[in-house]
Amino acid sequence: MNALKGKWKLVTLGALVVAAAALATATATARGSASTIKIAVLSDCQGAFGSFDNQDLAGVVTAMSQFAGAKAKNPNKPRDGWTGGSINGHPLKLVGIGCSNDRADTAIKETKRLMEQLGADILIGPLSGDESIAVANYAKQHPTKTFVDGSAGAQDTTLKVRAPNFFRFNGDGAMWNAGLGDLAKNKLHWKTAAVVADDYSFAWTSAAGFIAEFCAVGGNVTKRVFPPLNTTDYSSYAQQMPTNVDGTFVAVGGAGLIPFLKAYEQAHGPIDGKKFIGNLFWGTPGQFQQLSTRVVGAYVGGAGTAGDLATAAAKAYNAEVGKVFKTIPPFGAAAPQASSTFTYGYYVNTWGLLDGLKAVGGDISGGQKKLQAAIKNVKLSTPYGPLHLDKNNQAVINVFYQQLYLKNGKLAVKTVGEIPGVDQTFGGTFSTSTPAPGRTSPKCVKRSLPWIGKTIHPPVTG
Amino acid sequence: MRAVNPDRVVGVIALVLAVAAPLYVSPYWVGTLLTQMLFLGIVAASLIFLSAYGGMVSLAQVAIYGIAGFVVGNATTNGNTKGLNLGWNPWWGVVAGIAVAVAVGFLFGALASRSVGIYFLMITLTYSVIANLTFGQVTDVSGFGGISGIPAPASVGPVDAHQNRLYYVTLGAALAIYVLLRYVSRTPFGLTLQGVRDDPVRMASLGYNVALHRTAAFAFASFVAAVGGVLFVWWNGHIDPASIDLGATIDVLVIAVVGGLYRLEGAWVGALFFVIVNNYSQQISFIGARFHTLIGAIFLVIVLVSPGGLVGLWERVVAVASGRRRGPPDRNPIEVGQVEPSI
Repeated sequence: MNALKGKWKLVTLGALVVAAAALATATATARGSASTIKIAVLSDCQGAFGSFDNQDLAGVVTAMSQFAGAKAKNPNKPRDGWTGGSINGHPLKLVGIGCSNDRADTAIKETKRLMEQLGADILIGPLSGDESIAVANYAKQHPTKTFVDGSAGAQDTTLKVRAPNFFRFNGDGAMWNAGLGDLAKNKLHWKTAAVVADDYSFAWTSAAGFIAEFCAVGGNVTKRVFPPLNTTDYSSYAQQMPTNVDGTFVAVGGAGLIPFLKAYEQAHGPIDGKKFIGNLFWGTPGQFQQLSTRVVGAYVGGAGTAGDLATAAAKAYNAEVGKVFKTIPPFGAAAPQASSTFTYGYYVNTWGLLDGLKAVGGDISGGQKKLQAAIKNVKLSTPYGPLHLDKNNQAVINVFYQQLYLKNGKLAVKTVGEIPGVDQTFGGTFSTSTPAPGRTSPKCVKRSLPWIGKTIHPPVTG
Repeated sequence: MRAVNPDRVVGVIALVLAVAAPLYVSPYWVGTLLTQMLFLGIVAASLIFLSAYGGMVSLAQVAIYGIAGFVVGNATTNGNTKGLNLGWNPWWGVVAGIAVAVAVGFLFGALASRSVGIYFLMITLTYSVIANLTFGQVTDVSGFGGISGIPAPASVGPVDAHQNRLYYVTLGAALAIYVLLRYVSRTPFGLTLQGVRDDPVRMASLGYNVALHRTAAFAFASFVAAVGGVLFVWWNGHIDPASIDLGATIDVLVIAVVGGLYRLEGAWVGALFFVIVNNYSQQISFIGARFHTLIGAIFLVIVLVSPGGLVGLWERVVAVASGRRRGPPDRNPIEVGQVEPSI
């Protein structure tokens, strides 16, 4: 009898062990097969920004490496993507990298391919403004997928389209010029200014940032000139520029900037750098060197970054990019390219996404609603200051402006001002109901802006 | 017993496959690739109609398709985008889009109707450039960034949520256009047009108004291209000047030539080929961004091997299989060197 009892005990014990083992295996299997999160990246590998393709991917992969344990596949070619990387056991799989060309049409086509054919759950990108408006409209139609911007700076993307599942952790073109209007009026003592900008949405937005702030603090914009994009002969536009103003804001970009300045000199004589403010194109590495010393002293708007910032966070970020990548083709060493608006844009947007994924433990079930709610609440301490999202999923950020100066007889650029807490609305100048920036908008109106008088002078290297 | 016409058999099989497509291919194929193939085929068909029956190789078809698309965009969007934002009912947008495109097509046609060969090609290329630059520079109706968020009518859209609906609408439109073009080519108008193509001087001496016939044919082809343009903006939800730039113009010419520039069916055959190559070549890493190099090489091979395009290749296969030694003689698809007497 006792022997029988012992036998039953043994059987029970055995059953318990088997059950426990089965449970353990099941749990392990469940953890091992935690659903994969499929991520796609939309970059520009052709068109005007095609040469920055690897910077875009470097930003994404650096964030993946820093915040999700991924590894770059090739330390000399960011476009090869990453391996590994997970959030709470959910692997982060790169399903595809789109190749757009700054055209909205191509961006939509590539987005469809990445999301519908390759089945991505989340898209990081695109790079440029008009592409992002189209992708945000696409996002609106696909509420169960999540989209974070790459580096696009169109205002409409977040202010007008307002897709609840599209998030932007970088600034827009107008925000990037915050501080310049205050500088022109209160430091350079301009009372009147003229504006010249390329005749398309990014340049309108860029100029709108200057106009909104300069007018807000009491300045008056007396003339706005808009040469068509890709103009080659700027002489007729330079002739239209008034000389009876205190200064000129120039938002002519890319290949047009130097021909415009030359045409201006031919029309009105030598340029006085102190009477000019440029947008980000003036400070772009590879661009400003060609401006020659004629523009020494000119102030320049940024793109939400400051390569010479000497804070610990900014230095650590540069080092992180340099740790993940040795080179970023075609421009060479990786670390100096960390502050490119493209590298940083893709980096900070990927970081915001990963923070959201961490908050929900990598759970993208339920049409990604929990993830989207979590991303909305993400707050980051970025290399360039604190950041949070507003009600339209648009980041409120610190922005920087620079000045061109002579260093060993050559033109160089240094960061001279930081404006904290810049938001997209410019104190109500821009809203969902106001006309988008254009040839005649915004109007020149005096109003109060939250950041006026709060400019700080950050520590810089060199 | 009559021999079975292999063209008809293939046609019926293609139609059955197209109608049943949502049952056996992925939603991406239906919603993106096949729908795109159908409306690109419609635009290419307007080009093939002009070329095959009128002897006019036009590079303005994409401009016309863009005009229809921009009118629909301006008329039917409601705030939050560039353009006029008139907020009309989408069906009124369709009417306006097609009407404006046909009117502009009539004007374009009238101006180009006395040119032939390479001169006609150059004039229509100019139209394409004018349309592209006009929409780029006139910021009231578009500007560089274009118009986003263009809605499809409620019974068709929202397009992304109901991809099969737009697919069937586009399939229906493509079929209707095909039947219409076949029908028109057999009417007295179509026969006269073919007479104008073959010998304009003789047609003029017989009392036909050659220039008016060409103009009318151009306006009619504009109607066909405009239908393609409307379907394009419904599908894409967005149109900008880059949608109708030189690249897009060349793409449609490539589709028509690859498919076969002298038979209407070539339009959709070429479009299917183009769309598939475009989509899948992106995934081959060493091609990726070099799609246009690839399609250019294929274009060259097809023009050299089979000037009649893929449809011409098919005709040869059928001819050989049916016992004829040689296939039908290849017709030169682009007779741009031809200079005809002034009329």
